[in-house]
Amino acid sequence: MSNQTHDSVEPSYLVAKKGLLSWLITVDHKRIGLMYLVATLFFFMVAGLLAILLRTELFTPGQDFMSAQTYNQVFTLHGAIMVFLFIIPSVPAAMGNFLLPLMLGARDVAFPKLNLLSFYIYCIAAVMLVLTLVMGSLDTGWTFYTPYSSTTGTAVIMATLGVFIAGFSSILTGLNFVVTVHKMRAPGVTWNRMPLMIWAIYATALIQVLATPILAITLMLLCIERVLSIGIFDPALGGDPVLFQHFFWFYSHPAVYIMVLPGFGIVSELITVHSRKHIFGYRAIALSSVAIAVISFLVWGHHMFVSGQSELAGVVFSFITFAVAVPTAIKVLSWVATLYGGSIRYTTPMWYAMIFLWTFTVGGLTGLYLSTLSTDVHLHDTYFVVAHFHYVMVGGTVIAFLGGLFHWFPKMFGRMYNERAGAISALLVFIGFNVTFGTQFFLGHQGMPRRYYAYLPEYEYLHQISTVGSWVLAAGLFLVLFTLLAGLKFGKHAPANPWGGVSLEWHTATPPIEHNFHHIPHVESGPYDFPEIDWDSAKH
Amino acid sequence: MSEYVFLNGKRVENPHESHHHISPVIVYVAVFAALLVLTGLTYAVSFANLGPGSLPVAMLVATMKASLVVAFFMHLAYEDRFYLFMFLTSLVLIALFFGFVLFDVNAAGALNDEQAVGVPRLEEGLKASETAPVAGEVEAPAPDAGH
Amino acid sequence: MSSSNASNERPAWVAHHFDTAGQQVSSAKLGMWLFLATEALMFSGLFLAYFLIRKLHPDMVLVASEELNKAYGGVNTVVLIFSSFTMALGVRAAQVGNQKSLERNLMITIACAFIFMGVKYIEYSAKIHHGLLPWNFFDMEKAAHHSAALASFEYTPMFFGIYFTMTGLHGLHVVIGIGVLTWILIRARRREFTPDNYVAVENVGLYWHIVDLVWIFLFPLLYLVK
Repeated sequence: MSNQTHDSVEPSYLVAKKGLLSWLITVDHKRIGLMYLVATLFFFMVAGLLAILLRTELFTPGQDFMSAQTYNQVFTLHGAIMVFLFIIPSVPAAMGNFLLPLMLGARDVAFPKLNLLSFYIYCIAAVMLVLTLVMGSLDTGWTFYTPYSSTTGTAVIMATLGVFIAGFSSILTGLNFVVTVHKMRAPGVTWNRMPLMIWAIYATALIQVLATPILAITLMLLCIERVLSIGIFDPALGGDPVLFQHFFWFYSHPAVYIMVLPGFGIVSELITVHSRKHIFGYRAIALSSVAIAVISFLVWGHHMFVSGQSELAGVVFSFITFAVAVPTAIKVLSWVATLYGGSIRYTTPMWYAMIFLWTFTVGGLTGLYLSTLSTDVHLHDTYFVVAHFHYVMVGGTVIAFLGGLFHWFPKMFGRMYNERAGAISALLVFIGFNVTFGTQFFLGHQGMPRRYYAYLPEYEYLHQISTVGSWVLAAGLFLVLFTLLAGLKFGKHAPANPWGGVSLEWHTATPPIEHNFHHIPHVESGPYDFPEIDWDSAKH
Repeated sequence: MSEYVFLNGKRVENPHESHHHISPVIVYVAVFAALLVLTGLTYAVSFANLGPGSLPVAMLVATMKASLVVAFFMHLAYEDRFYLFMFLTSLVLIALFFGFVLFDVNAAGALNDEQAVGVPRLEEGLKASETAPVAGEVEAPAPDAGH
Repeated sequence: MSSSNASNERPAWVAHHFDTAGQQVSSAKLGMWLFLATEALMFSGLFLAYFLIRKLHPDMVLVASEELNKAYGGVNTVVLIFSSFTMALGVRAAQVGNQKSLERNLMITIACAFIFMGVKYIEYSAKIHHGLLPWNFFDMEKAAHHSAALASFEYTPMFFGIYFTMTGLHGLHVVIGIGVLTWILIRARRREFTPDNYVAVENVGLYWHIVDLVWIFLFPLLYLVK
């Protein structure tokens, strides 16, 4: 294979051009990826601290230190910032940007300047959401349901415009990635030889391109309702509030797959490399990513089972939602099968991958309770829902993201992190996360409604456990941050290929040079063909 | 190895040939003329008083015009089939969105009537909200007998 | 450094991260079609809102749409179709290297766009004058004075709300179109386009055709409800 790790005269992308301005006007996908990483991690921290505030307020049944109105604002901002400024951009824009061209053997994405523009659009959106805070805040819930959102006095317009603009960033990133995957693969990188991370990001990009415009128009209609008023969402003016929910969820359901699919991609990489085993069911995992993307557009009504949607629509959506569990299960089972017989190394990325298998599976399975019409009637808008989506989004995407951060940290920065600290962080995160959200399944099942800041005394015990869990989770996450920062400053210099991966990103300098490869590689084998695999005895 | 040109991971047979189809001017003129005729037809459909049929027919005419623009002005007819696939996929998605929502509005209205739940009918929203609280109340003040 | 053909020179206009000109051109085209898909999906939301209003209040829509001037609407339709025609001719001119024809067709297209906006201005002025605006600005007295039939419906302002939203968003795209067309015209004047390098013209053309396409559907739905 091409291009081994000789100490080239060419400097790494981190120091190739110097000065703040060189970063601000860069078109290097790796630098843009890093800027996204810093920004999204910052907002993860902001929204995470908001969550800690929420959980602390919920420690006792009555009011502790927040008024009801403040509580509404805090959970709304927690949701909106997490969804639009962290989870949707984080894996695709931060990691995807860094890895996509490297894994494909390309010198950059298809439209590097558009890439930079996407980042700045994201920044503008972030500023607008921050401005929302000072302009009257937001208390509608991140879902902006009418009629409350069209009539409340908070800064809905500023917030929705901010999200609208964030949507453009998402669309342009998705567009860039789709074209990159189609047009910029190196010689020999056929569709069946791409790392599964690419398949995942590709499927995600498809959803970003096709679903986000609907969000744009939905939010635009909401703004118009507030300013001009068409009347489409208000019965008094001739409309129907359920329409807003149809419009909103037509985007937002596929959006949750934007959130989780890249996580799936990361897990495929982590499990193969850290067990030195070829992925089980490459084609199944690749095609199931696309299948999930397609089916995700057909299930939005499962958020609206009790909103006044017709029963027949409910039945149809329920059935199709069951269907989307199938490709997802195919992935999980394939990952487990990959581990079987593998040479597993218990590195921090592998710990996170294993945590993922547990937490995401729980999240996915509990989704089935919610997609069953009869049980959803009881569980809708309870803590069961809250627990479910946190298990898939935090237990899914965030865990995978953290694993990916540790896995590609050496590649990005040329340093190693402290393995023991990393492992402890995984343990803390695992314990904290499960205590926080596992208890919430029981809370919800017993009837505790979501978005309530005061509750009946019988729920107090479980709430307190959940709150303590959240503090442990926060500690674990701060440990992750410190471990990585310490690695940056004090970590050992990383070898070119610390994990022995065989996909293309490991076949260039660590950290990579500005143009990624000295010579574009010509690929003749797959991304998981580890040299020690004895193909003659392989049973697959 | 550096003599060959690669695109999308496979060797390009003839990298200098550009496959861009150039339509003769007469094709554009013909399409333009057809579009004008169809515009006239759009008017004719409107004045023909087809009642409930006028919407589907008008949409059909509009679709024909749109197809001409997409196929010839936008060259989709001469492009790689993949673009057609992308285009049709978007249409399918839009159709799904429309279909489900319109179907649900229909069905939800019928469901509410059938259950005689006191949800004000959408067209009577204003009047009913004066006399009855919203959704869930079984004793509706019977806003109207016939529908 | 790249794997491009040694016997062929790399044109100056090919960016550093592409291997061949063909790669750059086909990437640009694919990107543009994807963008068009997003535009279509975005407008489709408004069309859905329209269909819902029409479904819920068919009688009101029938009467309210009579307020729209079918002649003006028709003129705008013909103007846009003609501008699509000239745009297509312009792209063709770029393909064959006919610089004069390219410039001429671009200028005609831009002029048509201005005519379109002019007609819209006239139409909007008339509506505003009669108080026929979305709910928050609807003037019931002026409207009733203008047409008793209109005032007999409870939800009349909905129609004008969706009318202004749809034509407003469309008009915004026309204005943006004027901007990008002008930019292409300036580049064309600088002789930047050759039969090998004209994908920017083609892409702007694709955008302009989408603007036309949206109007092709808007026109019968808003103006010719009867």
